[in-house]
Amino acid sequence: MRRWLLRRALQSLVTLAVALVILFLLMHVLPGDPLSRVGEGRPLTLEQMQALRDRYGLDRPLVEQLWSFVVGLVHGDLGVSIEYARPVTGLVFERLPATLLLGGTVLLLNFTVGLWLGVRQAVRKDSPEDRWLTTLSLAGYATPSFWLGLVLAWLVGVHWRLLPPAGMRNPLLDAGGLAAVADVARHLVLPAITLSVVSIAGTMRYQRSAMLEALRFPYILTARAKGLTERQVLWHGWRNALFPVLTLFGLWLPILVSGSVFVESVFAWPGLGSLAAAAVGNRDYPLLMGAAILVAGMVILAGFLTDVAYALLDPRVRYS
Amino acid sequence: MTHWTPRPAASPTPAARRARVIFAGIGLAVSALASPRAVPAQTESARTSFVVATGDEATVPIPTLLEGGSVANRDVADQLFARLGQLGPTLITSGDRAFEPLLARSWTRRDSVTLAFDLDPRATWHDGKPVTAEDVVFTFRRARDPAVSPGLANLLRRIVSVTAEGGRKVVFRYTEPYGEQLYDAVFHVAPLPAHLLASIPAESLAYAAYVQAPVGSGPYRWVRRVPGEFVELAANERFFLGAPAVRRVIFRKAVDGAARLNMLLAGEADATENIPAPPSNVARVSADKNLRVIPVPSPTLGYLLFNQRDSRDRNRPHPTLSDRDVRRAIGLALDRRLMVRAVLGNAGEVPYGPAPTTLWIRYGTPAAAPMNLREARRLLDSRGWTDHDGDGVREREGRPLTLSLIVPTSSPIRLQMAQMAQEQLRAVGVRLVLDQMDFRVYLERRDAGAFDVDFASTSLDPSPSGLGQGWSCQGLTNVARYCDPAVDSLIDAAIRTREGAGPAWHAVLRRIEDDAPAVFMYTLNYMYAVNRRFTNVRIRPESPWLGLREWTVGPQGARRPAGD
Amino acid sequence: MAEDGALRAAWRTPRGRAGLGFLTFLCLLALLGPRLLPDPFRQFGIVELQSARPSAEHPFGTDQLSRDVLSRVVTGARVSLAVAAIAVALSATLGAAVGLVAGYLGGAVDAVLMRLVDGALAVPRLFLLMLVLAVPTRVPLLALILLIGATGWFGTSRMIRAEVLRLREETYVRAAEALGASRRRIIFRHLLVNTTGPLLVAATLGVGDVILLEAGLSFLGLGVQPPTPSWGGMIFDARPVLESAPWVGIFPGVMITLTVLATNLVGDALRDALDPRGA
Repeated sequence: MRRWLLRRALQSLVTLAVALVILFLLMHVLPGDPLSRVGEGRPLTLEQMQALRDRYGLDRPLVEQLWSFVVGLVHGDLGVSIEYARPVTGLVFERLPATLLLGGTVLLLNFTVGLWLGVRQAVRKDSPEDRWLTTLSLAGYATPSFWLGLVLAWLVGVHWRLLPPAGMRNPLLDAGGLAAVADVARHLVLPAITLSVVSIAGTMRYQRSAMLEALRFPYILTARAKGLTERQVLWHGWRNALFPVLTLFGLWLPILVSGSVFVESVFAWPGLGSLAAAAVGNRDYPLLMGAAILVAGMVILAGFLTDVAYALLDPRVRYS
Repeated sequence: MTHWTPRPAASPTPAARRARVIFAGIGLAVSALASPRAVPAQTESARTSFVVATGDEATVPIPTLLEGGSVANRDVADQLFARLGQLGPTLITSGDRAFEPLLARSWTRRDSVTLAFDLDPRATWHDGKPVTAEDVVFTFRRARDPAVSPGLANLLRRIVSVTAEGGRKVVFRYTEPYGEQLYDAVFHVAPLPAHLLASIPAESLAYAAYVQAPVGSGPYRWVRRVPGEFVELAANERFFLGAPAVRRVIFRKAVDGAARLNMLLAGEADATENIPAPPSNVARVSADKNLRVIPVPSPTLGYLLFNQRDSRDRNRPHPTLSDRDVRRAIGLALDRRLMVRAVLGNAGEVPYGPAPTTLWIRYGTPAAAPMNLREARRLLDSRGWTDHDGDGVREREGRPLTLSLIVPTSSPIRLQMAQMAQEQLRAVGVRLVLDQMDFRVYLERRDAGAFDVDFASTSLDPSPSGLGQGWSCQGLTNVARYCDPAVDSLIDAAIRTREGAGPAWHAVLRRIEDDAPAVFMYTLNYMYAVNRRFTNVRIRPESPWLGLREWTVGPQGARRPAGD
Repeated sequence: MAEDGALRAAWRTPRGRAGLGFLTFLCLLALLGPRLLPDPFRQFGIVELQSARPSAEHPFGTDQLSRDVLSRVVTGARVSLAVAAIAVALSATLGAAVGLVAGYLGGAVDAVLMRLVDGALAVPRLFLLMLVLAVPTRVPLLALILLIGATGWFGTSRMIRAEVLRLREETYVRAAEALGASRRRIIFRHLLVNTTGPLLVAATLGVGDVILLEAGLSFLGLGVQPPTPSWGGMIFDARPVLESAPWVGIFPGVMITLTVLATNLVGDALRDALDPRGA
């Protein structure tokens, strides 16, 4: 087991290195000068532009830049944001909790509501309920998240004034504790629903087919013949459908992160996604790179953890 | 392999019943959260707090020393840091008299190149230490260092030295006599605490703890910043000119205009800067009993800039537009008043020369020339541009009078006006081709001079010396390479005039209008919205919330939270 | 070949029929519509007709620049479908090529290729595109399409590789190897032919993904540049007037949803038809 773990961890590191190189090359090979818009408010002379370029080290050879980039990375230094004039690491990590909160909530909803509905569909296959749940999930999957978010924000937040249409908390709230938690929860509802609609639709479809596959095995027939209750039979089937679900966890992370870029922008949710969207708008390459690196790291980590979970559950994996 | 068909359940299983209960519970919880009672009732502290919806967040509220000079940073910095003085209500930037004292209690002119400032002895930093001359000297030393802040150093290039005389006197020396010496000392830089910052080298300032919690001398002190959301400031009780009545200021971020408007209308914000287009939004805000709409002069100026150089080869003059009469004709063919009224309603005006509503020099200027189709046609005819082949477009020497106009898609005002201009120019035989593009691409084209006409928009400092940037031969933003030595010398003369520089600047505007390097299309007033419970409100055009410390809070008109 | 039968089988299910029907209708609309409808770039009556409600003359209303929303939606369909078709074709080709080579050749080639794919998969597609497209210069439409296609083949290559690994053990492949057939012949004659089914399914589902992606990029200001209408760009432009003129933003969003729904229905039907076990 330990050898397998080591091998798998090494694999993850290699993948991370490849991702980093790809990102680095992208940033430096593309046309356009990242400093081109710095002088927008106050025009700079050529000498002043050159001083800025020296400060950001943009004129050194590519290999040297890559080396200092890697060294900086090891020390946790991702550079300085051009737009905000602050270290990228700080900016990125201070936004991470909000994204984790939103993503965590959506994942939770996926793994409860999504799983439950998918299993239900499989069990009641071809019933009217199955049919309209399938149509619903297909429609949900097809809806653009940013459009849904806009409509919800306008309808529920502005038109009906039921929930706050933007932000994560009310700045005037003085109380702490439970009231503060309730405040964040109120702000969380709309973005979470928006992101969940799309992801749960996918989870439902996936789980439905995974459950149907699992129910087809002969041991299910045996179990029924043996006289086990329906519930016990389904429990057996569900456990085996768990494996694809774990894969789902590893797959959904990149999708959630991408979706959060739109949803966070629409709802002004102060997470990594809206930071990335702002960085795009400002052509702030260091910040965009920092966000991309962090996300890539998270995705690789999630993939690694999924494989570990797989290995723990299914001994056959360890020996392959 | 047998194919197993699951049996449909006959009646709700215990699992299903439990699920229904769970769902009902979730539904109850959501509706509980959604009810208005979940929102805290308005407290006294909420009444005296001021929430502004802004477009960006302040991440570096000490723009003096770092390059992050965004509007959001300036707004917060203006509350945290007091300057030596501030502009008076006339916004006149030239001469020594039109300023109001702030950190500097008074100033005296020693000679034509020396000014001495007396600091107010009551002024202290938020940590209690007094503001001394050393703080001013230290700040200007860093600000004037091109390695540290190139942009600022450029603006302060006419200051030779800043020295301390004793603890409370600061002496500024300049390179030469000119009208805006006081403005340069007072407007661009707010003093920073030397006792906290002198020990931090300039390169590591971005990483310093001070940036996370700046200590200043202004009417508000730093409380906290919640990343991506808002910045909170609290009133400085010991502010030497009196503690502000508005006890808390919160700059709340919402990137797009629609979201800010929603916050305002939902009662989650007390004010917003410019109410976003379309103009129907202004009507929506006016209809709200709790809000007051305040027009504020803006530094924005929109103009059609003629490229003086050939767009394909900048060393050669433009084949069509280097002719002044052609430029004048185009200006006369446009009905600017109609366009401004149609697109901006009451919020816009047609400027005379490149002077937006915030520039004090526009007072006393004549009205902009009205449309004159006959004169326009006459001018074009006289320069040899006639329509030989009857296709509606004039030609000369085989070349048609076709011009390309670049417009960024980020500006709905300019997009609409461009369309109208196209129609109007068609009536005099000029074919205007619209080239709309993304803002970043537009900036590239503009800087490269790859256009015939540029529908530009700039934001000018209150100082008219900024005109040199765009309209002098060596101006850094003069992308059209317009060059008239007479304008250069008129600008120099106006800058050097120490008192009463108005007429000198009028001469500059007149000359520019004569040369017609551009058609000055619009200048507009921003429409700010502020909750009615704030009284004695004055919004300053150069920095809107600078007057916040003088506002008062009335009892009426409680803010309505969402859900009521 | 299995695919013809698959298409016919997909037509037989009601859902598949609905999807195919809508897609055909949309293609016809995109081809013929611009001839019959008013100019999508024309601004009717600058001031009077701004954000006008839907009427007989403008069935979907007008936007803030008084352009006809219906025309823009239909022209946007052209753009979205063209982008999706070309990008997906590119992704499918690249994914199949890499998957076939890696799966059949194995060894070091396989290891290197798959590590590359893993690394690229770690960065979400949207982030990759954001990085590449956030350049200050103008990105021509063709470059945009190629970039979208070039970032979409990673998952497909893994799937094809898995298929190839399975097919490698089949008798007819072994037989061909034993008979001394060249690698190229085996790849093209035997493997490629038998992976077209899953490839087609992946491509069809990929169309929906690309449409959503392109709309999202336009929403961020990175996709199709104005004034060319695109559904995502229209939604972005509609943000300031969502309260006063909701039709400007609602219709493009509905179109995106319906189109992606249709492609997913067709893709699902194809997958069900090709999979002998059925769902």
